[in-house]
Amino acid sequence: MSSEALFTTHDIGKVYGTNTVLQDINIRVWPGEIVGLIGENGAGKSTLLKIIAGVEEPSMGTMQMNGQNFRAGSMLNANESGIGMVFQEQSLINNLTVAQNIFLGREKQFSKGNFIIWSKMNAAARNVLNAMGLEDISEKAKVRDLSFAMRQMVEIAKVFDIVSAASNNHALILLDEPTTVLSDEEMVVLFDKIRQMKQRGNAIIFISHRLQEVLEITDRIYVFKDGKLTAEVETQHADEAILYEKMVGRETNSEYFVSDRQTVPAQEAVLEVKDLSMFGSFKNVSFNLYKGEVLGLCGVEGSGKEDVCAVLCGDQAKTHGAIKVHQRKVDFKSPSDARDVGIISVPKNRREDGIIDILSLAENISVANYQKNAVYRLISNKNQRENAKHWVRSLGIRCSSVNQRIINLSGGNAQKVIFARVLDSECPILVLDHPTRGVDVGAKGDIYALIRSITEKGGSVLLMGDTLDESLGLSSRILVMKDGMICGEFDCPADNKPEQVDIVRLML
Amino acid sequence: MELFRKRNRSSQTIAEEFVQKVENEARSNLIRVYAPITLLVGMTIFFSIYDSHFFSLKNILNILQQMAVPLILATGLSFVLLIGRIDLSVEGVMGFVGSFMALLILNDRNANDFGFWGVLIPIAIGIFYGLITGILHVKLRIASFIITFATGTIIKGIAILLYDSRAARVQEQWMTDWSMMSFLGIPLITWIAVAFFLVCSIILNYTAFGRAVYAIGDNEAAARASGINVERVTVKAFVISSTAAALAGFVALIRLKFGQASLGDDQMFPCITALVIGGASLSGGRGGTLQTIVGILIYMELLNFLTIIGVDANYKKALQGIIIIVAVALTLSRGRKTIAK
Amino acid sequence: MWKRDGDFSLNELFKRNSFILSAVLIIGVFSVINPKFLSLYSLQNMSLEIAPLLPMACGIGFVLYSGSIDLSIGAVASVACVIAGTYVTETGHWIILYMVLFGVVAGLINGSLIAVLKLPSFIVTLCAQSVWRAMAIIISKGSSNTIPIKQRWIVNWATDKFLDFPVILWISLALVILCLVIERKTELGKSIFAIGANEKAARLAGVHTIKIKILTFVLCSTGAAIGGIMYAYKLKSSVPTIGDNLYMMAISSVALGGTLFSGGSGSVLRTLIGVISVMAISSGMNMAGVNPLWKDVVFGCVLIAAVAINSEKGGRSLIIK
Repeated sequence: MSSEALFTTHDIGKVYGTNTVLQDINIRVWPGEIVGLIGENGAGKSTLLKIIAGVEEPSMGTMQMNGQNFRAGSMLNANESGIGMVFQEQSLINNLTVAQNIFLGREKQFSKGNFIIWSKMNAAARNVLNAMGLEDISEKAKVRDLSFAMRQMVEIAKVFDIVSAASNNHALILLDEPTTVLSDEEMVVLFDKIRQMKQRGNAIIFISHRLQEVLEITDRIYVFKDGKLTAEVETQHADEAILYEKMVGRETNSEYFVSDRQTVPAQEAVLEVKDLSMFGSFKNVSFNLYKGEVLGLCGVEGSGKEDVCAVLCGDQAKTHGAIKVHQRKVDFKSPSDARDVGIISVPKNRREDGIIDILSLAENISVANYQKNAVYRLISNKNQRENAKHWVRSLGIRCSSVNQRIINLSGGNAQKVIFARVLDSECPILVLDHPTRGVDVGAKGDIYALIRSITEKGGSVLLMGDTLDESLGLSSRILVMKDGMICGEFDCPADNKPEQVDIVRLML
Repeated sequence: MELFRKRNRSSQTIAEEFVQKVENEARSNLIRVYAPITLLVGMTIFFSIYDSHFFSLKNILNILQQMAVPLILATGLSFVLLIGRIDLSVEGVMGFVGSFMALLILNDRNANDFGFWGVLIPIAIGIFYGLITGILHVKLRIASFIITFATGTIIKGIAILLYDSRAARVQEQWMTDWSMMSFLGIPLITWIAVAFFLVCSIILNYTAFGRAVYAIGDNEAAARASGINVERVTVKAFVISSTAAALAGFVALIRLKFGQASLGDDQMFPCITALVIGGASLSGGRGGTLQTIVGILIYMELLNFLTIIGVDANYKKALQGIIIIVAVALTLSRGRKTIAK
Repeated sequence: MWKRDGDFSLNELFKRNSFILSAVLIIGVFSVINPKFLSLYSLQNMSLEIAPLLPMACGIGFVLYSGSIDLSIGAVASVACVIAGTYVTETGHWIILYMVLFGVVAGLINGSLIAVLKLPSFIVTLCAQSVWRAMAIIISKGSSNTIPIKQRWIVNWATDKFLDFPVILWISLALVILCLVIERKTELGKSIFAIGANEKAARLAGVHTIKIKILTFVLCSTGAAIGGIMYAYKLKSSVPTIGDNLYMMAISSVALGGTLFSGGSGSVLRTLIGVISVMAISSGMNMAGVNPLWKDVVFGCVLIAAVAINSEKGGRSLIIK
């Protein structure tokens, strides 16, 4: 290891509105080193990588690359400084060939006049692929004809090529969960390539949910928690148990989650799910949701829990299995059908799927149940406003009037409006998909209290918490999903919550 | 058998299922790629058997002559469709160029005789108009179908104003000659169309611009991240489209020798039909040289066949609408969550 | 910590009400050019033009509020006009009912293709336009036919004056009120705006997106068909090309009313003002002696300007196709 750091960050932070997602991050990466970032979903790992790669701007702090101040501004600039990122969701162009993808935006070097000499580009692409050991991928194949694993490798090859061309083996490569779609053999190949890159002097930052991989490939590990850097360990001194402990860190605070108001669910099952499957996403999922219960669904991203919720609220179609609501078999084709039998969701992406941006608060609240404010099926706007005012008061929504456009509200208040909407629909079953994502601390507490009063009144909640803390703190029972299957169940009575480490172990 | 399959399915892991899902998609893609060519071959065989006149030299030459204008327009439009936009102004530009040209060269309406310049100026204006349309679309951020609908109406209105609804007959000698000329039995205008098609094919397949067009159509955000100037490429695509429209106006004038604004009427719709049948996608990213020519051939053969068996022109127009809806419905991939505006 | 409500800023206020300003400006300019512009006689004439355009503009307004577009309204109006004009002498006023039903069916076809098969609305309605336009020509055999003078009495009532203005104007205004009720007071109207503003969110909140979208297109085509019938009664003939330029006028009207073409905003009352503005421009140009062929050019420019002024500049990252 040389004495000079390749890349450093100083007090990097990121704030969305009033919500801090990343705070005081100081990391240091040496040339020829592989650094792992671990932490729960939403701990801020991906945000940090995006800031380094120039996809997002930091709200505060500075970065240095090769001892010089560095501010990416855009991905292209980052590339020129020798920083490249391989994304979780792939960014290849499906209808172009592998070679064209590798050199997209850099065609000039193969051009004569204005025309590209394909043979020259293909030969160069062949070299890039061969250098990565990807002999079996044809440079002339269209990307959409490749398997997901191959696409991933091509993307990595592309990024390697871009940054190594710019930096003479002093590149920093960011890998955001590159292994999720790879098979074991492909992973071995990938790790081999990563090590080769490292030996040439490049540095790599590696994010993965699979701790074994992190332990295998990295030299050093940074642990993230709630947007903060909580620990730094040398890999040789670490094992899974230590990492689990560092990841979960904080003790569950029963006061924070209003645990004294946690209800003991009734015996009456309001929702019965049997052998529910969705091809390619999850299978044979069975569980019951009882009256007055908060059922937490845990799992890493891609474990299939998102799609379970999507199916239950009618957003996606199931391929197999049965759903019963109040002992009646139901089959829905859309979220409106689901609402009609009594299931409604608070979606994860509030901006895209939750708020109806340019409409007023009152309209946003009543959209799930227009008829409530109707007289002989003609909607009374006055009733609608009064109804909205009632919710504004009882949920403590801060706004100038109920005619205000919802887009002008802060994240926490907008989320409360979405809660007002689902409560207004009078559905007994609520699917809460990350209900506190992007919400400030104060509003979070309000939402936790709200969830408590929902169950006190006999409502049932299927919860996918934003953090494990949250799921554990709020739920009466927890289901753990991994690779599309339910792999564990924990009872969570208010006075005897299970250990986080045990749950994390099943998830990963 | 069903039982076996079921058991087989339940023994798969999610990862395997996922792989299979991707494979299924790839397979249906393959079908989509080869369906138009199969259709073309099948239609040719069927029509030839149904009516022996269909495969006669005379009829083929007839098809080739009729093909000139649609081929030019479709070639230009294919760039705009590839980036997921649409250009509804091509009819207007075509009508304007054709009619304005007829007024500038030797004609029976006025005393103008600008000769060569009389051809060049209207074409240049037509191309420039595409530049304006593209810039308006990109800068004002107005959806392409609405902006081109408006600009198309404007330029057609200007064309009609130039005319005052009385057509001009072309009296330029060389233009009359050109309409008669042929090479290897194929009319000159068809050669012009083929030349334009080849030039555009080279642009699409052998330049960075061509790759950028595909990239934008497939994934605009990723293309932007790769350093492609999306706005610039978009404007260029509109310029190519209007260039095609201008050239089509010129070719149509050679063919008809009669300049009027309605020269461009009912020309765009067949082209979109042809492109979509050929496998171009209205949402962008799919299509290209081969798809364009296959689509045009299918469309021309169908039209020719309908004429041979004596279908009324108005019914043909109505039929076009139905064909295009069916073709679009077959080529679009949709899920429960898809949003169509 | 109160967040400043953007709704009350001066800029926003101006933007939201610029459509009234433009209407006043347009009418002002033309009354200066020609003092007779606001005479009763001129207004009566203008109202004859406004009447058939109103239901069409209100109808397509709903489609635009939902964020889609319907290019087929002109052709639907043509078919309605042709059939009404041709057969009113045989069937009497039952033809009105039949043509309204035709509008419903045309809308059902458009709506189903768009909402169920998820095809883009502009291409579906472009196709529908070509189909209905061809139908209009086939039915009329390509030419306008006047209702024989002996039988004119059947349709004359439509242009008779009631309280100084033609009967069809009053019918149109009644339809506007009906549309207003649909917009403000029904689940359908409210859902249309929710879909236009954010279809994904509206769907997840339990709005029947498919049903609502189909109904939106039904409203639109029905409005177009009623417009077509009014033309037949007003002109006392069947004109197969009557709709060719109407959709431009109807869309321009809605745009001039300040409706966002991206969906989620607009109102019937604004559309009413828009229609009046468009007709003021149109008849103002006539009275000023401008060549009527200029209309297309003028309305094209009006449309671009109106859309550009009203479009929300926020969300730069949004991809506009």
